[in-house]
Amino acid sequence: MPDLSINIAGIEMKNPLTVGSGTYGHHGNFNQFFPVETMGVLVPKTVRPIEWPGNPPRRVIEVPSGLHSSVGIPSISWEQFEAVDAPRLRDLPVPVIQSVIGRTEVEYAEVVARASALNAFQGLELNLSCPNLKQGGLDFGYDPDAAYKLVKRARQETDLPLVAKLAPDYSSLVSVAQAIEAAGADAVALVNAPRAMCIDIETLKPMIGNGVGALSGPAIKPMAVYMVWTLYRSISLPIFGMGGVANYKDVIEFMAAGAAAVAFGTVSYVDPMALPRALVDLETWLVEKGIDDVKSLIGAAHGSDFQRPAPLKEMKHAV
Amino acid sequence: MEQINASVVSNEPLTGEYWLLQVDAPSISAALEPGQFVNIRVSGEHGPFLRRPFSVYRVSSDRTRLQVAYKLVGEGCRLMRDTLRPGTTCDLIGPLGTGYDLPAEARTIALVGRGIGIAALPTLADLAASRGITSHAFLSARTRDNIVGTEIFSHHGGMVFLHSDDQPGGVTMVTDHLLAEASKIDFDAIYVCGSNRLIRAADTLARKLNIPAQSAMEQHMACGFGDCHGCVIEVNLDPAGEKKAYREVCHYGPVFNTWEVVNA
Ligand SMILES: Cc1cc2nc3c(=O)[nH]c(=O)nc-3n(C[C@H](O)[C@H](O)[C@H](O)COP(=O)(O)OP(=O)(O)OC[C@H]3O[C@@H](n4cnc5c(N)ncnc54)[C@H](O)[C@@H]3O)c2cc1C
Ligand SMILES: Cc1cc2nc3c(=O)[nH]c(=O)nc-3n(C[C@H](O)[C@H](O)[C@H](O)COP(=O)(O)O)c2cc1C
Ligand code: FES
Repeated sequence: MPDLSINIAGIEMKNPLTVGSGTYGHHGNFNQFFPVETMGVLVPKTVRPIEWPGNPPRRVIEVPSGLHSSVGIPSISWEQFEAVDAPRLRDLPVPVIQSVIGRTEVEYAEVVARASALNAFQGLELNLSCPNLKQGGLDFGYDPDAAYKLVKRARQETDLPLVAKLAPDYSSLVSVAQAIEAAGADAVALVNAPRAMCIDIETLKPMIGNGVGALSGPAIKPMAVYMVWTLYRSISLPIFGMGGVANYKDVIEFMAAGAAAVAFGTVSYVDPMALPRALVDLETWLVEKGIDDVKSLIGAAHGSDFQRPAPLKEMKHAV
Repeated sequence: MEQINASVVSNEPLTGEYWLLQVDAPSISAALEPGQFVNIRVSGEHGPFLRRPFSVYRVSSDRTRLQVAYKLVGEGCRLMRDTLRPGTTCDLIGPLGTGYDLPAEARTIALVGRGIGIAALPTLADLAASRGITSHAFLSARTRDNIVGTEIFSHHGGMVFLHSDDQPGGVTMVTDHLLAEASKIDFDAIYVCGSNRLIRAADTLARKLNIPAQSAMEQHMACGFGDCHGCVIEVNLDPAGEKKAYREVCHYGPVFNTWEVVNA
C-alpha cells in the first residue's frame, strides 16, 4: 500500500485530502455521509467573534460547471461557538484546522487568541479572502502590507500552526504570499472563490441578494491550479490547494502543481461522497503507477530539477 | 438522510405540464415524513451542476417506492424526463428537511395547495387517513389539467374543492371555499403549499380559529442538507413579526408555521 500520509507544519494527516472551509458539515454534523476521519484534516466553516445573520437571499445561483454564491459567513455568537461547536470539534477523531476571520487587525488577533485558548484545534486558518464581506477578508488578502501586519500580529497570539487562506487575485497573489511567509505563517491555502456576478436580463439587476458574489466549482479549477503552481515557485510554504476539485484526477493535478494537501469544496454539495471516492481512486492510481509515496507528487509538474525558494524571513517589499 | 442510486420503476406524463417519476428507495421511503423532500441529480459530464429539490409526492403502501411529481421547468426537469428511464438509476439524497407536524389529537384538517405546491400534500393526506383524520382539500392551478392528485385526496373520502384561474372566480375562489367551509367545519389544522396569497389567507384564518397552520416553502438550493447556508428565507421569530431572522429552507423547513413566513 502506498504511503498517503502528509505532515504540514507539524499537523499529521493520514492522507492529503481535506475540505474547503464552509463547504462541508454543519449543524454540528461532520459524519453525515461518511466518517469524518476519512479525510486527513477537517477545516470547518470560518468563525468570527461576532454574531452575524449573513447576506440577504437569494444566496445561490447555478452557473455552468459551478456555483455563484454570496452567503456572507452567517455566525452564531462566540459564546455559542465555544459552548456547543468547539467541544464537538475537539472530540472528533481527526485533526481540525479552524478557520477564523475578523473585520480589523485587532479583531483577527482577538479571534486567534480565543480560538487558540480553546485547546480544540491543531491549527488555525486565517481567512484573508472571503469575497462576500464588507469588512475584513479581502481588505487584508489583496494588500501585502496589511497582510504582513495582520499575520505578524496573529503569530504573537498563538503557537498553533497558522494557515493563511488567499484569494485568486493574480495581481497581488505573489507579493501577499511572500509577505505572509515573512510574517511567520506556516502554510497557505488557495484559492478562495473569486468575485463574480450574474445579471438578470429582465430586471437588469444583479441576481444575487448581495449584488456581488463568488464563483466556485469546476468552472474555476484551471485558474486555481495555475495559482497553486505560481505560489509553489514563489514561496517555500506548504500549500493547501483547492478550487473546483471533484475527483482523484483533480487531486493529482493540484499536487503536481505544488499542493501538499487538496481540499474538496463546492462539489461536496452536489456529490457528498466525492472525497471518500477520490481517496480510494487515488490509492488505486498510485498502486497502478507503482508510486509508493504520495508526497512524490507534490510539485511534480515543475520537473525534478526545480528547487523551491528558500524560506523568507523578511518582507520582500518595504512596508 | 442518505445518498442512493435508486432504480427507476417508471417515469411518465402525469397531467398538464407534470411528469411522475417512481423509484425504488426502501430506506428513504421508510424514513420519510410528509413534507420532506429529496434532492435529485441528473447530470452528464457538463451539467447541470446542482441537484434539483422535489417534494415526495407519494410513498407506496409497503414503503419501498417513492414518487416525485415534477413540472417541466428547465434543463434539469427535461433531463429527468429524457434520461430517467426504467432500468436506469436515479441519484438522490433524502429524506431532507423538516416536514409537516400533524397533531395527535387532530380530527379534521384542511389541505390547501396551488400548482406544483399540491405535490407536497398527498403524503400528508395519506398519513392523516391512516390515523383516521379527515382531510378536505382546496386545490388550484392556472389551468384545470395542472391540478395534480385530485384522485388521491378524494380517495380518502374528504371533500375536494378545485379551482383554476381559467374558470370564473379564479384562484380567490379557493380561499373563499376555505373560509366558507371553516364556518361549518371545525378544522384542527391547516396545511398550505404553493403561494403567498394562500399562506396569508390560511394564517389569518388560523389566528382567528386559534389553530396551527403550516406551509411548505421553496428557495433556490445548492446542497439541500444544511451545509451551504444558501437557501435561507427571512422568517418571523415571533407571531407579531417584530423580530426576524434568516432560516435555511432545507434544514428548518421546507415546512414552517404560517406565522413564521407570512409577510416575512
Ligand atoms: C423543497 C422544494 C420542493 C420542491 N418540490 C417540487 C415538486 O414536488 N415538483 C416540482 O415540479 N417542483 C418542485 N420544486 C421546484 C423544483 O425544484 C424546480 O422546479 C426545479 O429545480 C427546476 O429545475 P430545472 O432545471 O428544470 O429548471 P431551471 O429553471 O433551469 O433551474 C435553474 C436553477 O434554479 C433552481 N430552481 C428553479 N426553480 C426553482 C424553484 N421553484 N425552487 C427552487 N429552486 C428552483 C434549479 O434547482 C436550478 O438550480 C421544489 C423546490 C423546493 C425547494
Ligand atoms: C457557499 C460557500 C461558502 C464558503 N464559505 C467559506 C468560508 O466560510 N470560509 C472560507 O475560507 N472559504 C469559504 N468558501 C470557499 C471554499 O472553501 C473554497 O475555497 C472555494 O469555494 C473554492 O473551492 P471549490 O471551487 O472547490 O468550492 C465557501 C465557498 C462556498 C461556495
Ligand atoms: S441548500 Fe445548502 S443549506 Fe440549504
